[in-house]
Amino acid sequence: MIYYVAVGERTFVVELGPDGVKLDGDVVEVDLAHVDGTAVSNLLVDHVSHRIVARGTGSGRWSLHSRGRRFEAEVLDERARTIREMTGGSSGPIGPRPLKAPMPGLVVKVEVEVGDVVEAGQGIAIVEAMKMENELKAAGPGRVHAIHVTAGDTVEKDQLLVEFVALDEEGAE
Amino acid sequence: MIRSLLVANRGEIAVRIVRAARERGIRTIAVYSEPDRLAPHVLAADEAYAIGPAPSAESYLVAERLIEVAKRAKADAIHPGYGFLAERALFAQAVEDAGLIFVGPRSETITAMGDKTEARRRMAAAGVPIVPGLTESVADPEAAVVAARDVGYPVLLKASAGGGGRGMRVVEREEDLPRAFDAAQREALAAFGDDAVYLERYLDSPRHVEIQVLGDAHGNVVHLGERECSIQRRHQKLVEEAPSPAITQEERAAMGEAAVRAAQAVAYRGAGTVEFLYQNGDFFFLEMNTRIQVEHPVTELVTGIDLVDWQLRVASGEALDFTQADVVMSGHAIECRITSEDPLSGFLPSTGVVTRLEIPSGAGVRWDGGIHEGFEVSLHYDPLLAKLIVHGASREIAIARMARALDELVITGIETSASFHRRVMDEPDFRAGTFSIRYLDEHTELLESDTSEEALRAAALAAALLEDEDRLRHRIPRIGASAQVEMSSWRAAGWPWRKGIS
Repeated sequence: MIYYVAVGERTFVVELGPDGVKLDGDVVEVDLAHVDGTAVSNLLVDHVSHRIVARGTGSGRWSLHSRGRRFEAEVLDERARTIREMTGGSSGPIGPRPLKAPMPGLVVKVEVEVGDVVEAGQGIAIVEAMKMENELKAAGPGRVHAIHVTAGDTVEKDQLLVEFVALDEEGAE
Repeated sequence: MIRSLLVANRGEIAVRIVRAARERGIRTIAVYSEPDRLAPHVLAADEAYAIGPAPSAESYLVAERLIEVAKRAKADAIHPGYGFLAERALFAQAVEDAGLIFVGPRSETITAMGDKTEARRRMAAAGVPIVPGLTESVADPEAAVVAARDVGYPVLLKASAGGGGRGMRVVEREEDLPRAFDAAQREALAAFGDDAVYLERYLDSPRHVEIQVLGDAHGNVVHLGERECSIQRRHQKLVEEAPSPAITQEERAAMGEAAVRAAQAVAYRGAGTVEFLYQNGDFFFLEMNTRIQVEHPVTELVTGIDLVDWQLRVASGEALDFTQADVVMSGHAIECRITSEDPLSGFLPSTGVVTRLEIPSGAGVRWDGGIHEGFEVSLHYDPLLAKLIVHGASREIAIARMARALDELVITGIETSASFHRRVMDEPDFRAGTFSIRYLDEHTELLESDTSEEALRAAALAAALLEDEDRLRHRIPRIGASAQVEMSSWRAAGWPWRKGIS
């Protein structure tokens, strides 16, 4: 069985066969054992011990903790990978990245208006969470195209707050 | 001695107070908001009373209801912890007016020190050095601009009623002042119900060094040495230690004496903290916190003095049974505040259910916690989940011990600050003890991912094997297949002596 495992920015190829395990083509000696009734596993990779707390979140996605680090992994087999490639996955963002709420909270202030030109790092909105005000900043330059919230709104994590258009794109209008 | 105590707080500090009280044989009474029905402080106490819905303003901050519960439960005393009502003079007064003991200083002391501008006036009069700045709050952005010209940039805007970083803003340039002033006022109003803001000179690279004091109702005041709290983010402390790696024995004595003078100036009763900014041998009074401090355990570990126990004894009328000369510091202690904040996304708050919790243990390790497995961390309360504290014979040993303890800590289900702390323990400037409150600005690399190739490879392997096992488990067995077929082929390769079993 061949699995394609995406972790962070990387994708690893893991082959599980009758002769053992290969990682990106290299044979590695591995053993994975579980503590019964818990999410705790111990992975030995060439005898190096990794204590792992794992949780499957479905569709090949795994949330792993090891030595204080969290890893989000997605495991695809060949078939799933082919389907993913054919459907194209995400085509990548067009224009400046929209501003989304990074956490649930209360919109204290929106610091821009539709039509404003913003620079990378410019404050766009202030969202209060856990009694602290957090200033959300523009990821890149652009012009404010749409504002979806006003001061006083309660927002959920990942809720769309402000959309932008690229300055050059707009010039072509 | 107090016989029954209502703990008007939640989280780790409520658990800490319940523990101290139980050790004294005091009956403990917890209060809880709706989502805190099964919170650790409720489970730890002898009795528990519901006080309202989730928002603090409708539960933990409702003074009348707390006093009413205390009477109903026949409590002798109320311990406010820190935060919430701990530094509300009116609450302290109302508790005493109800015939109950307030575990803390007199309400007049809280009033004097709680008004930061009043505190500055009093400290200056008592001969305690203060930072150049205003002794009055400023009404509007225009007045702030005028005042800032006298004080000199950079200036620090602070909430008059405040503490803990809320309502604080550093302003480097005049053109940024009006906006920062508005934000500081809003935060001050939201956090303290009072939008008064004042400003003072912002020192460029000071350390935050604070002195623990302890006074009784008979006029005795001692200091228990300093805590170094310079590792901060937006004025919220992240790592604290005792003693400070920066100050000399002479400076310790001078700061300690100043802190005792400060406490005596307000007839201080109970445990309190005098905060100073320290730079190149000079120190300036910052503020006095008239309550138990989050980071009190590091002082307890180096002095062997139980501060919460002494709060209860002093509140019961006991006199201190030791003098300044008896206070001896031994070894080194470090505390890391484990918060529900994600260091890799700029410390944004994280919420969710704690799915697994493994608490570090072993020699010299202490855990003051306010969470358990199954506990839901919401946005209603402070992000402090627990404090991990270590003690060792030297600073070097304490750092190594903290690194080891952090490696043992497992919290899943929410993001925490633990990975940040682990990196700080390896960071050369921290290890050398050469840092100021600018530490985080100077070490932004600590907020980036440092994941090693080895860790990524292990994660990828673990995910692939887990997924494979999962698929195998859910596959419908073929008719006639033996149970041993369940063992996946890669694993059979790892157990060569098992080959041929099936």
